Amino acid sequence: MIKGNTKANRTAKWLVSGPPLLFLLVFFVAPSLIMLFTSLRLPGEFGGLAPIAAPAEAVHGEYGLTLETYQFFFSDILYAEIFLKSFAVAAASTLICLIMAYPLALLIARSEKRFRNLMVLLVVLPFASNFLIRIYAWMIILGPESVFSHFINAFLGAFGIAPVTLLFSPFAVLVGMVYVHLPFMVLPLYTNLEKHDPALLDAAQDLGANAWQRFWRVTWPLSLPGVFSGAALVFIPVLGMFAVPDILGGTGDILIGNLIKDQFLGTRDWPFGSTLSIMLTLAVLAITGLAAWFARPATIAER
Amino acid sequence: MNPPGRSTALLALLLSVLLLAGCSSQEQNATTSGENVLHLFNWNNYIAPATVKRFEQSCNCRLSQDYYADNEEMLAKLAAGASGYDLIVPTGNAMDTLIRQGVLKQLDKSLLPNLKNINPAYLNSAFDPGNKYSVPYAYTLTLLGFNQEKVKELGLPTDTWAIIFEPKYLEKIKGRVTVLDSQRELMAAALKYLGYSVNDADEQHWQQARDLILRAKPYWAAFSNTSYVKELAVGNLWVAHGYSNDMFQAALDARKTGRKFGIGYSTPKEGAVLALDSIVLHQSGTRPDLAHQFINFMLAGKNSAELTNLTGAGNPNMDAIQFIQPEIADNKAIFPDRELLARLEMLQDFDRKQRRLLSRLWTEIKLRNL
Repeated sequence: MIKGNTKANRTAKWLVSGPPLLFLLVFFVAPSLIMLFTSLRLPGEFGGLAPIAAPAEAVHGEYGLTLETYQFFFSDILYAEIFLKSFAVAAASTLICLIMAYPLALLIARSEKRFRNLMVLLVVLPFASNFLIRIYAWMIILGPESVFSHFINAFLGAFGIAPVTLLFSPFAVLVGMVYVHLPFMVLPLYTNLEKHDPALLDAAQDLGANAWQRFWRVTWPLSLPGVFSGAALVFIPVLGMFAVPDILGGTGDILIGNLIKDQFLGTRDWPFGSTLSIMLTLAVLAITGLAAWFARPATIAER
Repeated sequence: MNPPGRSTALLALLLSVLLLAGCSSQEQNATTSGENVLHLFNWNNYIAPATVKRFEQSCNCRLSQDYYADNEEMLAKLAAGASGYDLIVPTGNAMDTLIRQGVLKQLDKSLLPNLKNINPAYLNSAFDPGNKYSVPYAYTLTLLGFNQEKVKELGLPTDTWAIIFEPKYLEKIKGRVTVLDSQRELMAAALKYLGYSVNDADEQHWQQARDLILRAKPYWAAFSNTSYVKELAVGNLWVAHGYSNDMFQAALDARKTGRKFGIGYSTPKEGAVLALDSIVLHQSGTRPDLAHQFINFMLAGKNSAELTNLTGAGNPNMDAIQFIQPEIADNKAIFPDRELLARLEMLQDFDRKQRRLLSRLWTEIKLRNL
C-alpha cells in the first residue's frame, strides 16, 4: 500500500470517514449519553422520569439525581447471573450459526458465478416476511402436536428415550435465535470467501496439501475477518433480543433484553432500564474491542 | 380489560406512537368546522359495530375512534401530547393516574339518567370515590381456563388457584399449564391463594408468594400472555391462568372448530383480580355535550349488552342482563355472585421503590429454581 500524507489525501480521508463518524455520533454517542443521564434520575410517579429540579407546584414527588440504580444493580448477584446467561446463549447461537453458515457460504462462493447472486438472494429471502410472523411459525413447527415433534419423539422412542417437549424450552429459544440470525453470518462469510484467490488452493495442492490441510491452513485463516464480523453481527443482536425468548421460551428463559424491556413497559422504571442498557452497551463494547483485537491483520499474518 | 399482550410488538408501537402523537393532535383540532364528531379513545374491539351505527343515527353525529391495546400505551400517547379526545376508557389504575394528573373533566350526572342501571357494587371504587369522573363500562376477570374433558378425566378441582400452585395437582398436568407473564397478575394469584390482598406490599408476603411460585414453576410450560388462547382451543394446553375475555374467545374457537372437548373457565374461590374499565371525559375534548349523550346511550341495557355478546366482556349494567345471551349471563365466571364479587380486587399501583423490588423478585422467579 502506498502511504501518502499530502494535504489532498488528508481531506479525502476526512471526507470518507466523516459520514460514518457523524452517524456514530448521532446514533450511538448521543443516545448513550441520554441513557447515562436517564440512569441517574428518579422514576416518575406515573412512569417516565421525575423532574431534575424541584417542580414549580411542588405538591408531592421526588426530584434530583441519584446513583441508586447502580447500587441496586450491584447489590444483588442476580443481575450478574442474567448477564452471564445471556452471554452464554449469545455465544452458543453464534457458534451454531458459524457451524451452519460456513459450509453454506463456502458452497455459494465456490459455485458458478451466475448462480451466486440467486443463492445469496435465497439466503436473504426470509427477510421478505415479518420477523415476528416467522417466529410465530416456529411455535407451530415445534408445538407438541406438530409433525416435527411427533417425528423427533418417535425417533427418541425407538431408542427408549422419553418424549421431549420442544416448544417453550431453551432449545426452542436457540432454534429461534439461530434461525433469525443465520443470514447475518452467511453474508459476511460469503463476501470474504468469494474474494479468495483459487490459485492459492491450487498452489497448496501442488505442494502436497490434502483437502483438510488446504482448508485449515489456507481458507480458514484467510476467512477469519469474515468470521469475526459475522460473529459480531450475530452475537450482539442475540444479546439484546427479547422477542424470541418471549414467544418461544419456557419458564426459565429470561434474557437481559427481556429484563430491559420489562423496566420500560412493565415496571415503569426508566432509570433502572437505562442502567441495565448501559451495562449491556459496555459489555458489548468490550466484546467488540476483543473481537477487533483478535481480528487485527497482524494476528492473521503471523499464522 | 387486560392488555391483550403482544408485548413484544409494544416497544415498537410505543415508539411509533410517540412519533405520531404530534401529528394526530393537529388533525383532531380541525373539528370545529361545524361537523358533529365525537372522539373516542378506546380499546381494540371494545364496542360493537352495530352499537356505533345506532348511536350515530340517534345523535346525528359521527363517532371517530382511535385504539390502544394497553393502558401504558394509552398513557404514553397522551403524555406525548395526543389530544382532542372527548372520551377514554382506561382500567382502574390507569384512570387513577389520569385523575391524579388532573387531566379529566368531572361528569355532569344530570345528563346521565341511565347511571341508575349500574350495579352499585361497581361504583365508588378506591380510584374514584363518588364516581366524580368515571362511569363503569365493562370488566375482565383474571381467572382459570381449562379443558373440560381433561380436567374431569384427571379429577382436578377448577375452583381454586391450587390447580396452578399445588404440586399434587400439577403432577398430572405437567407441561400443559401456562400462567400469565405479568408480575402483578401472577403475584396477585399467589397472594390470593395465600390469603393476602392482591395489593399487599409486605415483603415477607411477597417472599412467600415467590416460594410458592418457584415450587410450581417446574410444572408450568411457559409464562404466556396471548398464545394460551390458541393453545387451549387446539388442546395443547389443559389449564391456563388468563383473562375472562380470552377464555371466552378460546371456548368460542374450540366450539367453532368442532373440537371433542370444551373450554371452561371459572373464578377461583379465593378471589381474583377484577379489571374494571370506565368511561372518562378527557380535558382536551371539545364536545362534552356529545360525550355525555354517548355515555348515557351506552348505559342503556341493550347497547351495553351488545359488547358482552360480542366479546364476553363482564358487564356492570344491571339493565343489560336481560339482553345478554343466556349462556353468557348464566356464566358465574363472567357474572360472579355477590359472595365471590366481594373477594374480587382491583390492582392498585405500587410506588417506585415497591415496583423496583417487585421487578427484582420477578427476575428471580424467571431466572432461578427452588
